[in-house]
Parts: sequence; structure tokens; C-alpha cells
Amino acid sequence: MKILVTCKRVPDPDQKIRLQADSREIDSENLPYILNPFDAIAVEESLRIRETHGEPVEIVAIGIGVEECDKTLRTALAMGADRAVLIPWDSFLDPWNVSGILEKIIQRENPSLVLMGKQAVDGDSNQTGQMLAARLGWAQATFASRIEFQSGGKLKVERETDSGIETLGLNLPAIITADLRLNEPRYASLPSIMKARKKPIERIETSELGWAPDPKVEIINMSMPQTSRKKVRLTDISDLVARIKEALKTN
Amino acid sequence: MKILILGEYEKNGMKRATQSAIRFAQSIDPDAEIETIVIGWQMDSVIQDFKRWSNVLIADHESLAVPTADRYGRLLKTIVLERNADILLGATTTFCKDVLANAAGQLGGAMVGDIIGHDNRDGELLFQRPMYAGSVVATVRLIGTPKILTVRPSSYPPSAETGEIFTTTKMEIDAAVLPDLVRYEGLRSQSSSRPDVTEARVVVSGGRALKNSEDFETIVGGLADALCGATGSSRVLVDNGITPNELQVGQTGKIVAPDLYVALGISGAIQHLAGMKNSKTIIAINNDSEAPIFDVSDYGMVGDIYQIVPDLIKAFHAD
Amino acid sequence: MQNKSKNFDVIVIGGGVAGLSTALQLGRRGVKTLVVDRGALGSGSTGRAAGLLGQLRGSIAATSMLMDGVKIVQDLEAQCQCEIFVQTGSLRIAETTERAGEIRDLVAMGKSIQFPIETLDAKQVAELLPYMKTDDLLDACYCPTDGHLQPAELTSAYIKAGRQAGVEYKTNCRVDSILNEKGKITGVQTEQGISHSPIVVNAAGPWSYLTAGSGDVILPTASIGHYYLTTRPDPEQTVDRKSPAVRDRHHRIYSRPESGGLIVGMYEAEPVEYDMERLPDDFDMSLMKVARDDFNAALLIHAAQQRFPWINERTPMTLTTGIMTFTPDGKPFCGKMDNLEGLFHCTGFSGHGIVQSPVVGVIMADLILDGSTKYDIEAMEADRYYELPGFQTRSEIKSKCAAMYGSYYGRVERPEILSDSE
Repeated sequence: MKILVTCKRVPDPDQKIRLQADSREIDSENLPYILNPFDAIAVEESLRIRETHGEPVEIVAIGIGVEECDKTLRTALAMGADRAVLIPWDSFLDPWNVSGILEKIIQRENPSLVLMGKQAVDGDSNQTGQMLAARLGWAQATFASRIEFQSGGKLKVERETDSGIETLGLNLPAIITADLRLNEPRYASLPSIMKARKKPIERIETSELGWAPDPKVEIINMSMPQTSRKKVRLTDISDLVARIKEALKTN
Repeated sequence: MKILILGEYEKNGMKRATQSAIRFAQSIDPDAEIETIVIGWQMDSVIQDFKRWSNVLIADHESLAVPTADRYGRLLKTIVLERNADILLGATTTFCKDVLANAAGQLGGAMVGDIIGHDNRDGELLFQRPMYAGSVVATVRLIGTPKILTVRPSSYPPSAETGEIFTTTKMEIDAAVLPDLVRYEGLRSQSSSRPDVTEARVVVSGGRALKNSEDFETIVGGLADALCGATGSSRVLVDNGITPNELQVGQTGKIVAPDLYVALGISGAIQHLAGMKNSKTIIAINNDSEAPIFDVSDYGMVGDIYQIVPDLIKAFHAD
Repeated sequence: MQNKSKNFDVIVIGGGVAGLSTALQLGRRGVKTLVVDRGALGSGSTGRAAGLLGQLRGSIAATSMLMDGVKIVQDLEAQCQCEIFVQTGSLRIAETTERAGEIRDLVAMGKSIQFPIETLDAKQVAELLPYMKTDDLLDACYCPTDGHLQPAELTSAYIKAGRQAGVEYKTNCRVDSILNEKGKITGVQTEQGISHSPIVVNAAGPWSYLTAGSGDVILPTASIGHYYLTTRPDPEQTVDRKSPAVRDRHHRIYSRPESGGLIVGMYEAEPVEYDMERLPDDFDMSLMKVARDDFNAALLIHAAQQRFPWINERTPMTLTTGIMTFTPDGKPFCGKMDNLEGLFHCTGFSGHGIVQSPVVGVIMADLILDGSTKYDIEAMEADRYYELPGFQTRSEIKSKCAAMYGSYYGRVERPEILSDSE
């Protein structure tokens, strides 16, 4: 079985974000970048499937983006992915276009399972997996908190929804997007880091894939809702209630 | 403009989140033709309620009894194309994120999610949406139609009831054309009714001032429930066995950045701040007026949480 | 708005434990003191520290200082009604004859000064630490009065007691330069204006070599990355809150209990070095993160696994990294140099700032007010590298400090796994 895992390079979500002077992009200077945490969960799940699956499993990590995505893919390889593919691209892509590139890669790689983070923590769109499933006509299970392989290529997936844990049965091929509680990703072990240095990262240009951009979302500008703490002291409970309501509403 | 809204319901009525989506639809175009789509099976009482808010498009069929993205997504695509809709939208919920993005994947992909504000610039709709966990708000426009949107319910108040009873249209459903890629095997409610601390929009956290587990539950848990939020805890409570480890916010615990973080009796050691200082709004209550937590808070109140919080909980339950 | 220009007797740059403790002791002696920090108090190395307290050091002077420190902490606990010192006891273990020899020497030294210490065999160690691999141990010694200081609790107590003693604190305020007139300190220039004082204490930790200023006097510290992991509580590996800290020099690791899990840290042979001047102005140590494929983290996990076989790369845990201030000999700089009258240094604690801070505050207050102290601080003199060849450029200093860090637990041994695959 072949599993394809998406690996997006994103700024560390715990760092302070700044905007560029033109307010159209964030200022990436000095910003540490990491493997999207939800994608790390997807990578971890693929490793666990490989460890427990009866048959051999090949795990292919896919990155789309700038040259530095190399490092992000290297993280997935060090965690244990078998090989990686980078599709170089150096400007903004909306979920429709990301799913378009992934569709082409999937046609080329023919995986039976695609694991992705439920969203990337930069754009926070939460759309790419669903759009990809729709494009391919594959089974879709978003927000997965548990994945269980059953006999005959069947899968049981538990999903975290607003109303509770939903259970779905799927046949392969399928797209599953990982939620937080699916697992806790491992750190790479020493032997695994050493091995990863020798693993290949293949580069495939979008032109080779026969894909051309088709933008659907244009970012006009960005703003920072808040820059510094207000540090207001309140003495009245009703003021406190009003401030809490305000925080719930405007955010 | 023709706007379709994917409706959500519970027991016998429309969810408030959908009412917010209706309000949003009305506010982007007061003259819009709005229809709320209700999908399911045997929903008579639900439909009665939906009629109070907008025109209703009913997809009532045994093959739609359970909400799977493949079927619902395909159905929505068909409806949008048949009715030549400009916009298909819903609230930002797990259901709409799952189904609408799938539909968008079949409808050309002009989608923006989790809208918290909008503008009309020279006839063109611009949408505000949070990115980077809310530290950035982006203004975006969509290229092409139909446009697929999800709207954050807390940003738009629920639509007002006018007393009018709207019309309903029942669709013919051809189950044979619907895909059958997933089997719905059931739903169970989560053991904890509270969301996970790392994902919640509201986190209420307790610190040293809490004397035992019962007090933590009453005070921190009580306020969290009143605000539909998660509970968190400082390290010292975990250390003293008052709270379980998975609630710990801080350097060696979870890192959170909710819209609202309420720190109750937490002094604000740097080890704790490392786990929550990127929260959008921070409110602190502490009896030590010099506690460092006040330096990172938007609003602070000096006093005893055992006296202040029960009053707060009452105020929210009174609503 | 506050008055932009204010007068103090002493200004302490850096609100970590060293600066906070110094300010507390000065405040208690009636000195009008201000602590200025670029971020929040305790937001630098202090906030990332593990706080292990092993009182038995290589010298009697250093040992008695740490023992006095415990008394100061106990007074603070009483004053602030908190628990800072967790007395877990500590173990040093040996799996080679060379290490066993070190332990014998240590036990002899401890006994000679009536420090509580005893030798244990592997079986006794196993009873004390059921979650640790012990079948390869040749020797071990146990110090029942050791433990750790909880960094967060200690920091809050210094601030609380400091406030009661009249110390003022200014946070989120970077110091741009130390001001002097004709070689005499006059105050500090901060991003919020000038504050005046005839005495300034440089307790800026990793930044202290920058704070000391350039020119002909160089403060020989380097800023070195350090890692530890904290496992999450595991019902199958209960780590008692009072279970002893461990130092395993062979594997270059230490451990102690933390919130039901275990902290394991490592002094790796080839540490990460930081040039503080290259970090962004708003660099925040408390937000430092460890990547999933960080090499030093992998080294640490590998080393931890040798001693705690249930720990591996899949164990639920948090990796913490921070920056330590190391000196070429691993001893701090406490005191003044000759270049500027009124400038004192209090930095370079080389991974032991938390536990040294209680007594260091007393020493600094002694030096500032009396010009001398009852403690034997010869090894800590700030000017001991002054004009010493080989310690005059940043690159010389950095490599010597990094080497000190790398050999902190003795001879450098590479894990077999690295020699196998390279």
C-alpha cells in the first residue's frame, strides 16, 4: 500500500507574527518555520499504519512551496517517511490550487490513502482535503481522531464533530484529514535522522505535472487585530461581563 | 443575488449558527433571494421551524438520512447549478466545513471560510477572515462564481424573527445518482462535554488560588461551561493533584491561543505565560494586585476568585 | 506617564534569578534598587531552567555556599508561604570504573565535611528508582538532602519579597547602554529613557557579554543552547514527586521528577551556540521550540533511553530548549572589573544559576555595599580572565565556553550509533 502525506511548511504558530510594510504578506524574516503541526500528526499516523499493517507500506511526503520546504520534507523523512516529492512554487496558493496540484501528483503516484492535516496553521482554511476528495471522487473523512484498518481494504474512521464522535466506514482509496487527538507525533530518533540524510527528495515542476494556476482567492491586505495588551483594571463585575461578551463577539 | 444557505438543526429546530448565517446573507445583500436548504429524512417539525426564518428548500429522503460529505456535497452541487445560485454558504461548524468545502471542490473552488466581517467595495464583496490562528485578519476577494462561504456565528447575531411564515419547496431526490463512498456508522457524544484546551475558542484556567478539585470544578469548570469553553490549569495544580496533567497550560504543558483566556488565581509565572500569551484577549482575576499576569492581560480585576467568579457565572446564566 | 528619569542607588540589568536575588538582598539592606528587564521577569534562562540542586561540589567553598543557599530559600518559603525547595535526594551513578572512582572521591570529600552522603549498590538504587535501568551500575552514591528548586516558585518569591523590601521592577524595557562619566557609572539608557544610579549590576545572562559593552574589557561568557525533555505522566511508569534526581555522567544526562513525569536533560558534546546580537530585538526565550527532527533532541532522547529504557522518540513528552550562559571554566562572574567604577557583573552561571542564586544575592550585596564578603569567592572573581591570553576574542571565548559545556560531565563519548553510521 502506498500512503501519500502532505507536508506544509508554516511559521511556528507560537511565535509573534509581523506584517510586511505593504500589509499584503507576513514578514517572514527571523520567523522559525516548522512542519504544519496537523501534517506532523498525519505523518505520525502513516508511520503507525506502516508499523501495524500486515503488508508493506510506502510513505511518500509531498511538499509544495519554496526551496526551504526541503527542510520540512526532511523532517517528515527523519520521522520515518520513505521518500519525498517537492513541487517548487514561490507564491500564494489557495486551497483550490493546492488541491489541483495534489490531484496531479496523486494521478502520478497512485496512492491508496492520502493523509493530510485538517488544516495548515498559517492559512487556517480547512478546505484542501475536502476539495481534493471532491476532485478525485474519493471517500472523505475529515477531522479524524482514530483510524482503524479492517480486513478487505476497509477502514473505520472516527471523526471529531461539533455534535460528538462520528464513526465512518470507508473503502480505499480515501482522503483522511487529521485532527489533534489522532495521535501525538514522535520526535525523530538518531538512527532515523541519519538515515533521512540519504533519502531522496524528488523535484517535480508544475509544468511537468501539466498544471497551471487558476487563482480563486486573492488576499487584498492583512491587518493585526491587536498589538499590545490594554492592561485595564476593572472593579465592577458588570464591566467584566461586558468585556467578556465583547471578546466573544469581536474575535 | 441568489443565496443558498446550508441549514443545520438539532431536535426540532434550526441551530443558532444557521440563524447567524441567514443574518450574514441578509447583510451582504438586503435584496437577495435567500433559501435555506434543509437536508435529511423525516424532518417535518424541523421544517416547521425553518419556515420562520427564510424560504426553505427541502431535501427529504431516506438516502440522505445521515450526513455524509460525499452525498451532501454532490446534492449541494446539483442544487447550486440547478438554481443558478451566486452564493452557497453556511456557518463555520464541523458539518459545514466538511460538506461545503467538498461541494466547493465540485463547483470551481471559489471558497472562503470562517468569515468574521465583510465589505462591499464598488459592488464587489470583500471578506475578512482570520489567519495565523487569529493573529492576522486578511481581507480577501473571491474570483469566480458560485462563491462558497462559511461564516463565524459569533460575528453575526442570529437573524431576527419577523413573524412571517416563509415558503417551502420540496426537491425531488434521485438516490441513484448519489455517491456511496462512505458508510455512516453512528455518533456518540464526547465523554467530556468541554472542548479540548488547545482547540477551544475560550479557555478558563485556574491556578494556585484553587484549593481542591471540587472548587476547581465549581469555579473554573463553572465559568468554562457558562462560556462554552475549555478548562485549563497552571502547573502547580497539576503538581498538587488538583487537576489532571492534560489540562496544564504552559511551557511543559499545552500551548494555547484562544480568542479569550480567563486566568483565575494564576499569578503568571513565565512558565505559564509561555503557554497562553498569544491569546487574543486575556482577562485575569487575582487577589495580588502586583501579580505578573496583569502585565499580559487586557482586563484585570483584583479580588478573590471565590467571591467574583460565582457572580460572573450567574451573570452569564441569567442571559 | 511615569517620570522618564529617576534616581536609584543600584540598577540591576536583568530580571532572572541572579538579578532578582541581588535586588532582594540590596532592598533588605535599605538600598533603593531597580531591576530592568527586556521582557518579563524570569523570561530568560531562569524560565527554562530545571533547577537541580546538588550541593556537593568540587570544593568546600562551593559546597558550603549551596548549603547556605538552602537556608536562604527556607526563609523565603516561610516569608512567601510557598514551596520552592523539593527535597528529593540525589543519586550519582557509575557504570565504568573511572566513574566509580569519581564517586569514591566524592563520598570521601562529603564525609570529610560531614555532608550527608552514602554509597549504594545497584539493588538499593533499583529500590529507590524502580523506573531506572540499574543492572549495569558499578557504584552509586546518594545525598538525601539534595533536590531541586522550583524555578517558577523561586522567581515569584524573589519578586514578592523584593517588593516588600522596596525593590522596583521595570519590565519589557530593553537597556541600550550603560552610562558613565569619566569612568564612573551614572546610570542606564533604556528604550524608555534614562535611569540614574552610581552602581549598575550586569545580570543579563546570555546577553551579559553585550551589556558589558565592547572596548578593551571583554566579558568572557558564551550563550549556549541546552535541551531537556519532560515526559508526561504514564500510569505504567509512575515517577514519584519525591523520587531522587539522578546524575549519569557517562551518558551525560541528569533527571528529576516533574508533575508526575520525568525531566531528563543533557550536556551534549557539541552544543548549539547563539550570537545574541543576531537574534531579533523582541526575541523571546520562552517561545523557543524544538523541531521534530532536531539533532540535539534526538541525541538527548537516545541518551535518556540508555538509562530509562521506557523513554524513546515516541514517548509523549515536551522538549524544552533554552540558552545558558557559560564561562570558560564553568564558574560564574561575580564582582567588578577595573574598567568602570560602579559596574558589577553577576552572570555566567553555566547551568547552575537557579541553585546558586540565593547565596549569590548575598555575595553581590556584600560586594556592592562592603567591598568584601565572608564567602570564598576566589573562583568567581569577575576579572579572572582579564588580559589573559587566549580569552580576548569572541571566537576564542565561544570555543572555550562550548568546550567547557561539552565536557561538563567529563570525557566526551560519542553514542555508538553515530560511530556506526558515519
